[in-house]
Amino acid sequence: MAPPLDPRLLKRATATRAFLVAVALTGIANAGCIIAQAWLIAYAVSGVFASHSTVFEGPLPSLSAYIGLLALVFTIRAGLSWLSSWLAHRASASVKSQLRTDLMAARLANPRDTSTTSSTLIYLATQGLDNLDGYFAKYLPQLVMAAFIPVLVLVVILGQDIQAALIVAITLPLIPLFMALIGVATRDQVNRRLKYQTKLANHFTDLVTGLPTLQVFGRARAQLTGLKLVEQGSRIETMKTLRLAFVSGGVLELLATLSVALVAVSVGFRVVAGDLDLTTALFVLVLAPEAYLPVRLVGVHFHDSADGAAAANSVFRVIDAVAAPPAVPMAPPPPKTSEIVFDNVSVHYPGADQASLSHLSFAVHPGEVVALVGRSGSGKSTALNALLGFVRPTSGAIRVGGIDLADIDLDAWRRQIAWVGQNPGMLRGTIGSNIAIGYPKATQSQLRSALDRAGGQDLALDRPLADDGEGLSAGERRRVALARALLRIEFGHAGLFVLDEPTAGLDQASEARVVAAVSASGVGAIVVSHRDALLKLADEMVPVGSQPAAAASSEPEGGRR
Amino acid sequence: MTSMGDIRALIARLLADQPRGRLRLTVSILLAVFASGCSVALMGVSAWLLSRAAEHPPVLYLLVAAVGVRFFGIGRGVGRYFERLTGHDLALRMQSGLREATYASLSRTTLLGRHYGDLLVRITADVEGIVDLVVRVILPFCSAAVVFLGTSAILAIFSPLDAFVLFAISIFAGIVVPWLAARWSRQADERAIPARGELGDKIREIALDAPDMVAYGLADQELTALASIDAKLRDSERDGAWTRGVAEAAQMLSTGLAVICALIIGAAAVSNGLMPGRDLAVLVLVPLALHEVYADFTKSAQTLTRSRTALARVVEVLQAEPVGSGDRVADPDSPIMGLHLSDVSVGWPDGPELLAGIDLDLEPGQSVALVGHSGLGKTTLAATIMGLIPARSGLVQAPGRVGYLEQSSHIFATSLAENVRIGNKDATDEQVVEAMTLAGLHLDPLREVGEQGATLSGGEAQRVALARVLAEPRYPSLVILDEPTEHLDRETAQALLDDLFTTLGQAGLLVITHDADLMARCDRVIDLSQWAVGTELR
Repeated sequence: MAPPLDPRLLKRATATRAFLVAVALTGIANAGCIIAQAWLIAYAVSGVFASHSTVFEGPLPSLSAYIGLLALVFTIRAGLSWLSSWLAHRASASVKSQLRTDLMAARLANPRDTSTTSSTLIYLATQGLDNLDGYFAKYLPQLVMAAFIPVLVLVVILGQDIQAALIVAITLPLIPLFMALIGVATRDQVNRRLKYQTKLANHFTDLVTGLPTLQVFGRARAQLTGLKLVEQGSRIETMKTLRLAFVSGGVLELLATLSVALVAVSVGFRVVAGDLDLTTALFVLVLAPEAYLPVRLVGVHFHDSADGAAAANSVFRVIDAVAAPPAVPMAPPPPKTSEIVFDNVSVHYPGADQASLSHLSFAVHPGEVVALVGRSGSGKSTALNALLGFVRPTSGAIRVGGIDLADIDLDAWRRQIAWVGQNPGMLRGTIGSNIAIGYPKATQSQLRSALDRAGGQDLALDRPLADDGEGLSAGERRRVALARALLRIEFGHAGLFVLDEPTAGLDQASEARVVAAVSASGVGAIVVSHRDALLKLADEMVPVGSQPAAAASSEPEGGRR
Repeated sequence: MTSMGDIRALIARLLADQPRGRLRLTVSILLAVFASGCSVALMGVSAWLLSRAAEHPPVLYLLVAAVGVRFFGIGRGVGRYFERLTGHDLALRMQSGLREATYASLSRTTLLGRHYGDLLVRITADVEGIVDLVVRVILPFCSAAVVFLGTSAILAIFSPLDAFVLFAISIFAGIVVPWLAARWSRQADERAIPARGELGDKIREIALDAPDMVAYGLADQELTALASIDAKLRDSERDGAWTRGVAEAAQMLSTGLAVICALIIGAAAVSNGLMPGRDLAVLVLVPLALHEVYADFTKSAQTLTRSRTALARVVEVLQAEPVGSGDRVADPDSPIMGLHLSDVSVGWPDGPELLAGIDLDLEPGQSVALVGHSGLGKTTLAATIMGLIPARSGLVQAPGRVGYLEQSSHIFATSLAENVRIGNKDATDEQVVEAMTLAGLHLDPLREVGEQGATLSGGEAQRVALARVLAEPRYPSLVILDEPTEHLDRETAQALLDDLFTTLGQAGLLVITHDADLMARCDRVIDLSQWAVGTELR
């Protein structure tokens, strides 16, 4: 079980604290209303019962007075219930917004963090966090109510009838106790159920998403038989575990209603013996279920909370993974005049079997073109990621003009760099707007010229780009990104190219233009490439990964997105 | 457009497909009625017990009522337990049935190259809506309706007028309020859809393009944009929350109204001597127990909105006319070895003609690169050659076996060997190992590859796909390579291509590509745009 109240939600989401206080206040007010309501009903009913008329002895003169007050109490309760759902929405909405922004800020602070995939991140920020609605609107208010109402109700019952109070006092704590015991006893079963259901769902998703592949091999229809078998087998297993898993809910209901029944029978027999008057008996009977209701609802809404709490948990994991920036960041020395030194740099992604980059040392003198060469998976792209500050070296250091990159203001450092990744990202807009990212004030002719020199003479600047540059091939994306980088060097006054396979997929003529453009810029470059035309530019070749290369799969950016 | 009627028909069909489906549903509903009925009866009988006790009769007269109270006290928990079991059993059966129907329907239509990716993923989640619909909508709704009716009918014995008033209030609080609330909050939620879509798009963009955004200093700008979309969404969600709050308040007021009406009507009947005093407590306390049932309705109504949208999408898939042949039908004995297209035009059966007048001959051992911009119809042509969809016109002669290697072949979450056997289900262990070796895949065939081949690199995944093609007893004499290196890094791509051209050298190779390096490896390069129909798409 997740902790009922995640302290990190309280700490990070300031809206939660005010919300909890407000919910506690409405909870107390609600408890007062419930007690008043029971009192009014008990006196009104027993008054009519005793006098057989609507005017009778008692604290209030007549039935209409009770009715008037009851109407007031129910109106207040209606108002409170509206208020608490409104507050819950406010709190939930502002916590969601805050976590969403924090999550995406964390992604941007840690852009190469592959431990959370893009699709997980998208899920978390949308549906995942939406599950917090259940947490805030249902679970949390009930949790607070469960802390106040039963105690208040119990105290009131105690003032009326000790025996009934004893029954409630003994059975009430049994509910969480039994729930916890059953929870522990059936935890394995419940986990197994979740595993079965997830496995079943995954199997189906797997088959359906693989349908095009199956059809090509003429195997799609044949899989239906297998699907039927898997479905049947898993359903039988799931039902086996459900029989145990539902026990806890059953016991919860059983204890709550059975206790009310015990109270009713106990007071009933004392009324008949004349030990208790009807008013008190009715008062206790109306109150007793109210003591159990919040506790029962906590159990019912627990699942509403579980998804939300799990999502929040995953969000916190991403947020907390961000390393703190240097306290007093230093201005980066300009790369045009400073030496860049990789000093025994290793990068080991958390959770990976092997280091993605081990013990790389080299230096780039101002204006020099350095090519990184090595086998797939040797860590060339990782070295570029470290240079851009996307990842921090696990050991060793990168120094710019003698200053450790870890102490440098990374935003300012990146402004000096024109980077082209292996699979460049394309923002929604047009090809032109994507190039303009390199220099937002660029004119149309500057954009056109940059794209032509990047080998993209066939691409129209006004071609719209939808989701993630769909419709552009990998080679075309690189050309757009390269044009972006050229602008940044020429007009944005960046002083260093950082290029990861910029000419892959280009024909020779286009490649020659690209090489010419890079060398004409006159600034230094760190390049990963296999193409001779580009390697000829290099003043120095740095071998990366001297020992046997790691499997390609251990380098995150080499795999699938 | 899918109507509620279609969903009802779907449920009826799924029920009918289950052994004793209707009986299971009836039993589940009856158990649910029993469980909710118990809590109402507990309150009613207890109230009667206390009032009767206040008349100080001999204790014997109270024993039946006391037993009843205890019985209802136990009945609720037990009833709820069995209701959940039978309900879930039925719901899971129906879910299995729906999955099978959905799969059967999807597998009849040719899916290759149709950009169905999103739909395929969504539909698998949508199918789960049936469980919610059965367990959280149909069962609570039917049982609560029976409880309303039953409660009112029993109270009519004490006071017909009060029973009628209670019934009217129950209809209002249990049906009208949740229905209105669901309707209004749906309208509010629908207004939120554009903002929600915009937010999803922005998040996706940031998640995918984070490195470029950071490298080019766009991070703050993007976060500001995100915050402003988020604010828009909050505004539109606020109305929905407001409506739901009002609905809850209305139900509380209704409960109060029912209690007060019972007091007024009951007290009048008692003072007129029309009803014994002991029955008053029953009339007044029963509505309190009904309040929880009203709340169940609100939950059902909200769940209905959600699962209805999901199931409507499933129904759409189930009702869609199949396009193409679905599975490829291979004739292993066909004597044709090469590929001959004369005056062929292609297009999806439900779409426009894309390419026309194609003439192409490709003999085993030759290779040809097909180039042209995205959306031109390259994959459509491949589907036509494989016989997955019919040619619009012209003559297609292709071998019985055509190997096909796509950009990102699906890797199933099973062992490597089973993945290879997709190519030939009868392949022996030796044949699997041989195919893997030829494909340059030196891994343990029994290794589990994880979801979507998560433990494989992009290059390894493509080699698994190649091993599938090679797993057939006789290698295909024609292989279509559909941008096989698009998602691979440079070196991995080169290594794969070296192996591809070596192992498949005897076959005719039809290579769909953008990659200049790959074109250079082919004997011929053919620009498909010469056969494009109509104006340029872009």
